[in-house]
Amino acid sequence: MTARRLRLLGVVAVALFALAPALVSPFSVTLLNFIGIYALVALGIVLLTGVGGMLSFGQAAFVGVAAYATAWATTAHGWSPWLGLILALVLTAAVATVVGSVTLRLGGHFLSLSTIAWGLAIYFLFGNIDALGHFTGISDVPPIAIGALSLGSGAAIFYLIWGVLIAAWLLAANLLDARQGRAIRALRGGRILVESLGIDAFRIKLATFVLAALLSALSGWLQAHMTRFVSPAPFDATAGIFYLLMAMVGGIGALGGAAVGAAIVTLLRNSIQDYLPLVAPGVAGQLEIVVFSVMFILLLQRARTGLVPLALRYLPAAKPAPVVDARPLPRRPQPPRGEPVLRVEALSRRFGGLVAVNQVSFALGAGEILGLIGPNGAGKTTMFNLITGALRADGGRVLFCGTDITRTPQRHIARAGIARTFQHVKLRPAMSALDNVLLGTYARTRAGFVAGALRLDRGEEAQARFEAMRQLRRIGLADRAFDPAGALPLANQRLLEIARALAADPVLLVLDEPAAGLRRLEKEALARLLVALRGEGLTILLVEHDMDFVMGLVDRCVVMDFGAKLCEGVPVEIRRDVRVQEAYLGSVA
Amino acid sequence: MRWYRSSAAIAVAAIMAAGTARADITVGFVTSLSGPGSSIGIPYGRGMDAAYAYADTVDGQKIKLVRLDDGTDPSTAARDARKLIEDDKVDILIGTATTPSASAMMAVANELKVPMISLSPLKASQSSDAWGISVVQPPPLMVSVPVERMVRDGVKTVGFIGFSDAWGDLVYGGAKRAADAGKIKLVATERYARTDTSVTGQALRIFAAHPDAVLIGGSGTQAALPILALAQLGYKGKFYGTPALLNADFIRLGGKAAEGVVVSAGPVMVAAQLPADHYAKKISLTFFDAYKRATGQVSTNAFSPYGFDTWVLFLDAAKRALTKAKPGTQEFRAALRDAIFATKGVDGTNGIYNCHPGSAYCSDQRGLVLVRLVDGKWTYAP
Amino acid sequence: MNAQIAAILAMDGIATGAIYVLIGIGFVLIFAVTRVIYVPFGDIAAFTALTLAALETGHVPGTVGLVIGLAVLATLLEVAARLRARRLGGLPRAMLLTLVLPLVPVLAAWLAAGRDLGMAGRVALSLALIMPVAPLLDRIVFRPVADASVLLLLTVAVVLHFGLVGLGLLFFGPEGVRTQPLTDAMFTVGGMNFSVQTLLIVAASIVFSGLLFLFFEFTLAGKALRATAANPTGARLMGIRPATTSTIAYVLASLLAGISGILIAPVTTIFYDSGFLIGLKAFVGAIIGAMASYPLTAAGAIFVGLLESFASFWSSDFKDAIVFGVLIPVLLWRSLGFRESEEETEE
Repeated sequence: MTARRLRLLGVVAVALFALAPALVSPFSVTLLNFIGIYALVALGIVLLTGVGGMLSFGQAAFVGVAAYATAWATTAHGWSPWLGLILALVLTAAVATVVGSVTLRLGGHFLSLSTIAWGLAIYFLFGNIDALGHFTGISDVPPIAIGALSLGSGAAIFYLIWGVLIAAWLLAANLLDARQGRAIRALRGGRILVESLGIDAFRIKLATFVLAALLSALSGWLQAHMTRFVSPAPFDATAGIFYLLMAMVGGIGALGGAAVGAAIVTLLRNSIQDYLPLVAPGVAGQLEIVVFSVMFILLLQRARTGLVPLALRYLPAAKPAPVVDARPLPRRPQPPRGEPVLRVEALSRRFGGLVAVNQVSFALGAGEILGLIGPNGAGKTTMFNLITGALRADGGRVLFCGTDITRTPQRHIARAGIARTFQHVKLRPAMSALDNVLLGTYARTRAGFVAGALRLDRGEEAQARFEAMRQLRRIGLADRAFDPAGALPLANQRLLEIARALAADPVLLVLDEPAAGLRRLEKEALARLLVALRGEGLTILLVEHDMDFVMGLVDRCVVMDFGAKLCEGVPVEIRRDVRVQEAYLGSVA
Repeated sequence: MRWYRSSAAIAVAAIMAAGTARADITVGFVTSLSGPGSSIGIPYGRGMDAAYAYADTVDGQKIKLVRLDDGTDPSTAARDARKLIEDDKVDILIGTATTPSASAMMAVANELKVPMISLSPLKASQSSDAWGISVVQPPPLMVSVPVERMVRDGVKTVGFIGFSDAWGDLVYGGAKRAADAGKIKLVATERYARTDTSVTGQALRIFAAHPDAVLIGGSGTQAALPILALAQLGYKGKFYGTPALLNADFIRLGGKAAEGVVVSAGPVMVAAQLPADHYAKKISLTFFDAYKRATGQVSTNAFSPYGFDTWVLFLDAAKRALTKAKPGTQEFRAALRDAIFATKGVDGTNGIYNCHPGSAYCSDQRGLVLVRLVDGKWTYAP
Repeated sequence: MNAQIAAILAMDGIATGAIYVLIGIGFVLIFAVTRVIYVPFGDIAAFTALTLAALETGHVPGTVGLVIGLAVLATLLEVAARLRARRLGGLPRAMLLTLVLPLVPVLAAWLAAGRDLGMAGRVALSLALIMPVAPLLDRIVFRPVADASVLLLLTVAVVLHFGLVGLGLLFFGPEGVRTQPLTDAMFTVGGMNFSVQTLLIVAASIVFSGLLFLFFEFTLAGKALRATAANPTGARLMGIRPATTSTIAYVLASLLAGISGILIAPVTTIFYDSGFLIGLKAFVGAIIGAMASYPLTAAGAIFVGLLESFASFWSSDFKDAIVFGVLIPVLLWRSLGFRESEEETEE
């Protein structure tokens, strides 16, 4: 099928969908309404879990907070549902901010478990508050009205629900394609990667969490006014798990997965309810959930990524927007050649009884390439992590351009102008090469969540894309800009990391074993690139294992052994140094 | 593969077509066959089996019964209600096992203008344009009947312990009303969950308050838990409860500790002991007979009779509505609703039903008798 | 609150906590060996209680149907897998494990129907009936996704829990059960009555935790389990089969859950769905132990029991909100230790 016919098919489908209330039975409209409402929550889960990597079982609690807020405001105080919406959104955002501030600092599965806990805690709170009608709930919630038009009927609210869902979907898609959205997509790469790009990982996580909660809140508001009744049971942990299942069935990594998953789960439940009694009369009610679980387990066993990513494989990929020329992003002033850029003074770090870095000092001038070498276990990587802020020093100081950065958080160090690469490549394999390099421009750009979602950031975005493309061209990967980074060979991935670091417009480039795993020709190309960068005035610190690679490249070397500095000097001196030879020959490496 | 699929589709379509072609009046029945409400919902379903065995026609019109499970989830109950109304075009809704779910269905019934008989308590006051009633005795009455007995027994101070769910709320509400009216003094209020493993903390609290009697707001088997815990602490006061305690396993588990518990109950529970002229005697025996025919078992639970009573109410109203409109039309639904709200003096297993617009309940204190647990048997204690 | 009340609450809390200890340790055991956060674990405990109750009343327990169904399914899967791989050599042994062994207690239950086995016989038969359930489920549900991420395994476990609860309703019915107490004896301390049953719970919890410790320290299978937990790849290279270790872990954990179910059944009413909340609270204990440390898990479980007991005295309406609410500060405290290390998120 060609892309054009596909698009035509899409237009026809959308048109038919818009006419649905007139074409299908009222109950089918009801089902579509529920699908839309569930899909909103699932969309939040896709953002939070699929994109951001935070698994939450507690989204139903946010649906509940919003539903209760609007139900209480409209029944007890006679507010308009629209004011109820504002209250619901504000309250949910507040609750999510508080809960998120506490739980998002947790890592791994602890976060997920805590979501079960607060989901349950919030559920028990609902049931015990007098004003919220205890476990009995609140009835007679008024329908939403637009002017004189009441959205009480299923067909009327259909347009509101799907309008909200489609709008949310588009905004989310825009956001993911913008600066902050890329930061969310980077979250799964781990905190160290994200912070090394100058991104405040916690803030991004919290914002994503609040965003997902707000989508749940919209769903809760619609739910309260559509079913006209609110009680605690639909917001308990079980419901939260069902929402998660919807997202997983549809495909947790794709925005479209939310609606598809919600539709499949809702329709499946409905048809199980219809047809099971024909097969197993008498026990059908009890069997429903069993059949449902079996189907899910089969799905999770057979298609872990969910259905949408599976389907997408068979559809032609969307053509990426071409990169157009734009005004370059502003650059920071580089220090004049020879001026001190980095000064390490008596730096130390212990791990328990092991002294990994012991009183090491050295300095680095602007426009210089310094190699930090030493045998395996010499403490090079620890040193590297201390300089970039990934680890805290136990003693000593690090000065960058005259400022003490010993205790500065990693992301501030990154923003100050130290860009790094990783020994084990940390790229986002599913993102395109261009998007990976765009991550590097994060600290140089400003667009926020709202600007990204509403596409108000296009000017800056064009500049950033232009810059990223420039860096890709520089490393010779311009023709693969739209390929997923994970599809590139290792040598190219290493170069891509350098391009990402360069996109941050750094003063100091710190490379962690960039030649590891490269073949000879690739190493030579890398060396040429680094020499060219030095020619442009960039300062480079190279942590490397491969003596030959270092010696032909660097201006000076610092040799470490057993955590301490062994010696320092130009390559010729180092090569002759007896201690260095002993250290290398005496060790396994 | 294709022949298989198309023949299956034809078979399903044929079954469904056959189902709709013959039936004239369609009744939509929702109950909780799964989830925490299933211990109430499944007996409701059996009561409906008995009811359908008792009468599957009214004035020669065949009745079609469509059943759905709500999984004890109000939003599923609401969806079920819509499905029954919009897809199955039912003339009346009956359901379901918990108050939140029944309220959710009621909201749909009001919106889509379909009459409904609720199997769970509803909010007592409702607007006069509501479309449904509840078949159960008003919860305040379930509590006030035993409270009256407490007053007669000389009880002054009362401790309350109930489930932390909608049922516990209802019983507590009744107790609070009696306390506000000055009939009793509530000296301790405690809650526990159906799945709790221990109520020692709550029992201690109540024990420390030294109430003359304790009102139990739990239901079924697990209502015995606080009684046992208090007995273990050496509590010597009396226990009172609501019809929710009427359960064979409650007697077995409560054992000696539960002896002497006084609860309000539908007259059907002690039908054999009722005087011959009692209104509930005849209909209760009819119910027992129908239950035996439908399920092959003897009914001992308190819930199935309610399911049966909804049918009695419905049959009576349908008979009158049939003279006004044809089933399957909105006119018939409206006529059925009017007929339900005009119900006068219909004998059921759990009360004499008199309905009025503006009120969710149709039965009065005649729907409740007091029974006492003596030697492991519920005994009529007028 | 006076000292006497505090003492009763403490005793009650420790007894509840002791139940959580057994289940919590099972959680940690399964997680360490298989990386599965076994959510349906509480259900296993509840099913044991329901099985025991059915045996008491002379019915054939629903577990019989459950085990037969699972055993047949597991065997079919095993045969299909071996046919596809064309390795039929190991089939008799696999059949013995997935079909014959699980059906032995089923046969026993069938033969014993209507006969009085005595308390000990009923308890033993209940445990024997419940033990195959989790290992068979492992074979059917988890083995095909054994290499998946922790989050996917967790999701599968959650779904499995729903399915099991549904099956529980089908096989055991909606009514709650309470079994005869193992003992009726009471003793009096300071004017307050305590039941010997409570003491028994605590004692059983200590004894079985101790036995587990001995198993780990002094048996080859125990050491293999520990090795797998510490380094799965290394263990595999040493010839320890992951499938075998996970089966052992599930059998052991089921035994622990079964014992806790039997201990708790005379104290409270157990429904087909009671397991979830019991499991979840035990789980809070396991989290306090960071899903890794057995002693800390035991301490955490006791803490949860105590918290629950005192919370039900202070404010029974908000008891569960308190118990689950307290998890968050606990998790925060636990997470402090994880700051320094970089956890790679899974793709």
